[in-house]
Amino acid sequence: MAELERFVRLYIYGQFLEYARPPTVEQTAEALHTTRDVIRGVFEKLARDRVLALEPDGRSIRMAMPFSAVPTPFEVRAIQYKWYANCAWDALGIPAMLNCDARITSKCPDCDEQLTLAVMDGDVVGHTEVVHFTVPAARWWKNIVFT
Amino acid sequence: MLFRSEEHIDKWCEQKGAPRGAVLSLEESWQLAKGWYHDRLRPDWRRKTPEEAEAFFNEHGLTDPFWRLSVKNE
Repeated sequence: MAELERFVRLYIYGQFLEYARPPTVEQTAEALHTTRDVIRGVFEKLARDRVLALEPDGRSIRMAMPFSAVPTPFEVRAIQYKWYANCAWDALGIPAMLNCDARITSKCPDCDEQLTLAVMDGDVVGHTEVVHFTVPAARWWKNIVFT
Repeated sequence: MLFRSEEHIDKWCEQKGAPRGAVLSLEESWQLAKGWYHDRLRPDWRRKTPEEAEAFFNEHGLTDPFWRLSVKNE
């Protein structure tokens, strides 16, 4: 990964961590003292490399895994912050990435009952919950939002 | 997706006419998440190649064709 791509990637994650939303092209360009065109090109490159997922507009960040820029059924609260994750795996990925305790809430797609998991002291605590992967791994990126 | 239990997956798949995919326990999912995301904030992080990702899945006991990624297996 080129140096600028690394800086952009880390800036995006830093913004997600702090504000629970990704930066815009304009914000990133200003923060990294470069042009919007350059940053837009980096966003596109990172999306092609499947480091990010962009919205259909081709310039707004939808996902920097495990974070989601839009509300999802996977809410993660940790260290006084709240983030949305893209899926159940990503919901666990946030405390895994931050090496912290967390409270994860979601809803069972079958019965609509709220489900609450905890990550405490390096372990996951739940009840009978299970994670269902509907799409085979080789097809995840054919439609990453659906996946 | 996170389900209340395996029985709820079966009911949901039947109702939706969806095939049952892969099912992981919370502990399996947590181990997978830790292995996949623990280094994401490191400056030198890079995305795994399909071969590396498939090897990662295999290391976690996910050897079913559902988890295949590398070209040679497609």
